[in-house]
Formats: sequence, structure tokens, C-alpha cells
Amino acid sequence: MSLIQCKSLVKQYVDKTVLHGLSFELETGSPIALVGPNGAGKTTLFSILCGYIRPTQGEVTIFGEKPGSSALFNRVSALPQDAQLDPRFSIQRQLMLFAQLQGFSKKQSKLEAERVLSLMQLSDSLKQKPAALSHGMRKRVAIAQALIGNPDLVLLDEPTAGLDPVNARNIRDIVHELAGETTFIISSHNLAELEQLCGTVLHLNDGHLQQQVDLTNSDGAEPQLAFLTVHMDKCSPDEFVNTVKTLNGVSAVTPSQKNHFVIDYNPINAPLLDQQLLRCIDENQWDYRQLIKGKTLEEQLFSN
Amino acid sequence: MSSFTATQNHMPPSDQLTGFLRSSWIIAQFELIRLFGTARGLLTLFTFAVIWYFMLTNLVMTAANFIEQNASTRMSTMMFNSSGFGQLLAWPIAEFSAYWRIALYLFPVFAVLFAADQTASDRDRGGLRFLTTRCSRDSIFLGRFIGQTIIVSFLVVGTLLTTLAVALYAHPAESWPMSFYCTLLIATNLLAVLMPYTAMMALLSASVRSPILAIILAVLLWTIVLWSVTALSEYYPAFDFVKYIIPGIQISDLTQLQPADTLSLIHIPLLQTAVLLIIGRFVMAKGAI
Repeated sequence: MSLIQCKSLVKQYVDKTVLHGLSFELETGSPIALVGPNGAGKTTLFSILCGYIRPTQGEVTIFGEKPGSSALFNRVSALPQDAQLDPRFSIQRQLMLFAQLQGFSKKQSKLEAERVLSLMQLSDSLKQKPAALSHGMRKRVAIAQALIGNPDLVLLDEPTAGLDPVNARNIRDIVHELAGETTFIISSHNLAELEQLCGTVLHLNDGHLQQQVDLTNSDGAEPQLAFLTVHMDKCSPDEFVNTVKTLNGVSAVTPSQKNHFVIDYNPINAPLLDQQLLRCIDENQWDYRQLIKGKTLEEQLFSN
Repeated sequence: MSSFTATQNHMPPSDQLTGFLRSSWIIAQFELIRLFGTARGLLTLFTFAVIWYFMLTNLVMTAANFIEQNASTRMSTMMFNSSGFGQLLAWPIAEFSAYWRIALYLFPVFAVLFAADQTASDRDRGGLRFLTTRCSRDSIFLGRFIGQTIIVSFLVVGTLLTTLAVALYAHPAESWPMSFYCTLLIATNLLAVLMPYTAMMALLSASVRSPILAIILAVLLWTIVLWSVTALSEYYPAFDFVKYIIPGIQISDLTQLQPADTLSLIHIPLLQTAVLLIIGRFVMAKGAI
């Protein structure tokens, strides 16, 4: 099912063009990542998709409707970056308001507010006002509001930024669990996190769509060439490269980051290279931390 | 079933108008809770009550005494007429006469102050972003306006009832029906007079990110537009009608009318309100939030 269609989307401010003719199409399903450096236009794209701002040119539709259209109420929700709840009201009161606006009765809205807060492990904060919560807790409340009424699409702008590791993991678990019924679009700088969660990645850079990567399609490489990524521990890089290069089917071994290596190989000649590599590691009494079939998201997006 | 399933399935209102009105009313109710259900709102109300108490005892009652004492002499009547206050004597009860004149000039200020923050702070905080994925900007705009109109109406009715109590206490036997008539007449008039001010603040609040800025803009714009329109109509009398865009332009005329005639100008503020709301609606719809 078509989720989002963007055609030649341009957003221009007085002195700057933030989005330069973005065109892409996304389907419902597994979570979608939106990545790119600061100033790439991620939040601007989010704001257009949520109807907060209008594009200067181009067309965008969500479920076939224009952003902000009443047909999208209850279907699309968002965690807006830096938006704050009203400091005068308790968390419960505000979430009840949101739920009531989505069609819940007063009694149902109270239960719904409790439900989404319990998802975020914030049931104890129900009666508190935003000022009494830490930054991370306020962020989780803002995510909770996006889950009211189980919308079809949830846009999360940097959902785990500023959260401690335990709560960041909780957010990832929730996204993973809800991914069957809700499509998430997640903007984040944490590529490892996005790699765990997402099936599609949109890479923005300087307002241009740099690439659209389908992570479910192995690593996107041609059939004649496959990759293994290995994170070694206590091993001489030169020795590792020289040794692994001699394995059957390996065409190149490239060090990426500290103790990380990307191995290019021919899967037809060496369909079980991963097992060969583990034996090689064992024989040389090296130690490894992680072995990944394919390239990491970071490698896919930023290598070459 | 997943633990993340919604508490209960719900259907969004199918009829768009019903949905729009429902959302607007929910937003309006939340504005009322903001005033009557929060500590800060109650403090604001208490402050207003204290100010009104001093105004009632020092302004309204004193003025009422003055009017009563001078209403019977011919010399005083001539003095009132010559100074433009002749219609003060037209009201059957002096307390209402004083209240009418004071409220006409003072309550617009209260309306501007109370209604200044309809959407400005929320826009600055990003709070509107939580709302616009659930209801239209029109609902927010109209809902906040309705909420503020109810609040301003509450202030008018509250102060009028205290004036009524004073009038009934001062004239216990003779003036009950007349007092209620005056209360109703003034309430209707004042609610109409104040609506364009609330609508003006809805418009200005939709244009800026601070209620203080909205108030400053209101004062500046009102002054500049009044000055410009006065100058324009002086040099080009054909453009005299332009003055009717200014909220409160009919107030000086209202003070010169017999009580029974005061509703004859009610169309002016109602039309001004409609125009300001339509402009405000477009500002709200077009702006970034």
C-alpha cells in the first residue's frame, strides 16, 4: 500500500533552499529510516509530512491525502522535534485532550492516556506536570502521545536522542513490536539503531535524496559480489587482511573503522565463506566480536 | 492480542462538520479549564475580582451616587448634556448608567489582555504540533476564540451581577424588573462590543509567537489604523466608511443613544468579528507552526 509519495518537493526560505526537488515513494510495512547530517533537511521534510509547514513547490501525499488533511487525523501522528507540552496541565490531562480530539470519549481517553504512558514506563508520572519531568521523560511522554489510538503512520524525529540506553532500548522494542500494525518513519543519527529497526533507509544530504536503500534486500549488492563485515578484537589489521585475502573467493578486504573489516567475495565461488572465516579466526587464535552478513548501514551509506 | 492494542476501538466522526464542531468545542472547553481549572488561571481570576471590587466601590458606586444626586436638578441636567454625558441620565438606574459608561471603555482592555494568548505561546512552544495531527487549524482557531469569548462573557456577566446586586441593595423596592432589563440589555451590548476585540486578538495571536507581542501589536495597529482612517476620512469623506473596520468605532455613538436604542448598532461589531475571524483563519492556515 502506498504510504508516501513525494514529487519534486522543494522548500525554500528567504535566503536558503532546504529541499531541492525531492522525489521518492514509500510503501507501508517495516520502519523507514531518514538519515543525513545536520542541516540535510530531515526535520524540514518531517515538518512538511506532518503539515506543519508547506512546501514551496512539488507535491506530497500520505495515504493519498495532502499532509494536514482531515482524512489523516487518527491515521498519522508524530513526535515533533523540540515541541513541548503545555506547562500548566498535567501529563494525563493533555494526553486526554489529544485522545478526545481523536474521537475517544472522556472515559476512554483516560484509559488511553494510561495505556500509552505505561508503554513508556511512565505510569507514575500521570499526574505530574511537564516541568517536573526530566528531559528524557518529557521526550518519552511526547512519544507516548504519538501512539494514542494506534495510528497507521508514526513519524518520530530523533526519538532516542537524549535518552539513556535503557529507555532508548525500550523505545526500539516498542517500535519493533508495533511495526506490524503501524509504519514508523524514524529520523536519527544512530545508524546502528536504524539498522536494527528499519527496512528502508532514505539518505538525505544537503536537501537532496542521496540514496534510498532497501535493507531487507540483503545488502543490495549484485549477485556476483557479496560482503561480510567483521569486527575483530585483539588482532593485527595487516595480518588479518593478508590472511583473509588468501581465502577462496575473497576479492578484497578493506579496513573500515578500528578493527572493522569489510570482506568482498564471490558467493558463487565461496557460498560458505562465513564458516571459512570463523575457522580461519580460530586457527590464528584471533578473537572477534561481531560478524555481519553484508555491509553495515554506515558502510552502505558512507563508503566510497 | 498485543499488549499495545488500543484501549477500545473508536471510529472518527464520519461527518466532517460534526468532527470540526466537536474538535472546536473540545478545544474551547480546554480554554475554560485553563482559566478555571489551573492555579495560574484562578490567580488571574482572583486578581481580576480584586481589581473589579475596587472599581465597583470606587468608580461605579461613586459615579452612581454623583449621577443620582445631580439628576434631579435642571442645572445639572444641562451640565451633563453640554459635556456629552447627557445619556447617563437616560438609564433608569444610576448604577447601570455608571457601569455602562465605564465598561464600554474599560472592558475592551480586559478583553485584549485576556484573549492575547490564544495560539501565540502554543506556537512558540511547538504545542500546536501536537494538535494539528488530530484536528484542523480551523478547529483550533475557532475553538480558542469560542473559549475566550466565553471567558470574556463570564467576566461581563460576573461584573454585571455584582452591579445588579448593588443596584438592588440601593433600590430594594422599586427597581427589580428595570434592573434585570438593564442587566440583560447591557450584557447583550457588551458581549457584542467585545467580540471584535477577542477576534482581533485571535488574528494577532495567530501571527506571532508571544502574547506580549500580540498586545503590543494590538495597541500599535489600533492606534495607527485609527489615526490613518481618521485622516483619510477627513481629506476624503467618501472613505468615511473605512472607519468601520476598527473595533470599538461605534462606542462613542453608543454612549449617546437611549438605552432602548443601543442594540441598533450591534451589527457593526458582529460584522467586524466575522471579518477579523475570516482573516485570522487564513493567517492561521498559512503560517508555519
